[in-house]
Amino acid sequence: MTKSKSAKINSNGTPKRRVVVTGMGAVTPIGLTVPDFWASIKAGKCGVSELGGFPIDDLKILIAAQIKELDHKARLSHFKRDKFVTMADRYSWFAAMAADEAVKMSGLEVPFVDPYRTACIIGSGAGGLVTTEIAYRDLFILKKKATHPLTLLRIIGSSGAAHVGIEFGVKGPTFATCSACSTATHAIGLAKDYIANGVVDVAIAGASESVINYGTMRAWQALHVLSPEGCFPFSKKRNGTVLGEGAGILLLEEYEHAKARGATILAELTGYGMTSDSSDMVKPSVEGPREAMRLALEDAGLAPNDIGYLNAHGTATMDNDRNETKAIKELFGDYAYKLPVSSTKSMHGHPLGAGGGIEAVASIMALREGFLPPTIGLNDPDPECDLDYVPNVGRAKKLAHVMSNSFAFGGLNAVLVFSEADA
Amino acid sequence: MDEVATKIVDILKKHMKEPRDDIGLNTALTDLKIESLDLAMIVFDIEDSFGIEIPYNANETGDAGDFKTVGSVVEKVRGLSAAKA
Repeated sequence: MTKSKSAKINSNGTPKRRVVVTGMGAVTPIGLTVPDFWASIKAGKCGVSELGGFPIDDLKILIAAQIKELDHKARLSHFKRDKFVTMADRYSWFAAMAADEAVKMSGLEVPFVDPYRTACIIGSGAGGLVTTEIAYRDLFILKKKATHPLTLLRIIGSSGAAHVGIEFGVKGPTFATCSACSTATHAIGLAKDYIANGVVDVAIAGASESVINYGTMRAWQALHVLSPEGCFPFSKKRNGTVLGEGAGILLLEEYEHAKARGATILAELTGYGMTSDSSDMVKPSVEGPREAMRLALEDAGLAPNDIGYLNAHGTATMDNDRNETKAIKELFGDYAYKLPVSSTKSMHGHPLGAGGGIEAVASIMALREGFLPPTIGLNDPDPECDLDYVPNVGRAKKLAHVMSNSFAFGGLNAVLVFSEADA
Repeated sequence: MDEVATKIVDILKKHMKEPRDDIGLNTALTDLKIESLDLAMIVFDIEDSFGIEIPYNANETGDAGDFKTVGSVVEKVRGLSAAKA
């Protein structure tokens, strides 16, 4: 293992503080908690189903990875400080559920004892789009006199962060990130920097997304990137992505802070890299993703062959799958063929902004349990995608360091590296 | 209580976390633990139920004028309904 010293020092010469994960929360179509989500991942369960819950009308794409059985009122009834959370947008429910699980897992006392030294960075790619559609239907079609009074608060993309911050008593930096499919990864990376640089000691970070409605489906349909059949990353039969929804949130903590209170350290967040292609809104470059991965490795002080598993962005669009494969080969060289790379989107669909958070949870579980999540639906790979994508069935492998990629529309790339707690 | 008052009390109860059965015309809204966001939703519901528009600005705090007691809300709604008819 090659540890570079430069990565461990801040620009002002002070040593960077270590950042660890002490809690995780996941809300996904294949499990509403981390244990359920992980059990589904291990079993290779597919969360894609027939679209439902709103008028389908003339939609051509009739599948999505939706969360169908959810009693949000029961799940959030114990919230004490934030009495409006159950009346918030669906994306805020997901954020609250995942944050609640992460905070509980960390064992930290709430409200936080040092609220100004705590951050809450919960992004969303699009905020409350389901609410927007309902409000516009009310106004423009049903000609109602007014929108519901909570409409504005439900829509704003920072309401998820605000609801969680109120409930847990966070008084430090609280805001949302917004970078399409890299939203959660940017949130987690920023939180890492805040802790490493001494701005805060604790951070709730990730993202939440819930945009599956008629208007969103039409908008995605018009881009012609959705599959009518399923999400099959790296496969020859792959013909587009499948929209998903949910939230993935981590509880990050400064290493000594976690150790002092005897917390269980789930993993260390050792690396974070971000770049922008600065070239095209929908066509990704090879260079941008490659450089984001390289920067994350550099931040972690690791060499490419230290990485034992890579959770790919893997959207099942031709452009992503081929470009990501090329970028991995350019950075990892010959080792790319020995590096297991899988797309858990084959199971939980594409939850847009929340993707990086959910995939961070999958990556940390892989690291902790020494188990590689599979890419399901991969019997016949695209000839241009020739890596080990852990096809169809997951398998055991002892892991010390894992990487998770997020590459968004607009060419916005963000990558995380997690390392074993004792590494 | 007449039909208007009963309807308003039902709306108030709908928006209370712990609905009470002892709400009368003299009950102060502050006793019901109704805050600004609750009030916005209550006004919305009342407007919807009675087909009226209640002039109300959340910035005008302090002496809440028409909205001190349940009875004052009922009177206001009665007045606005009559003006509409």
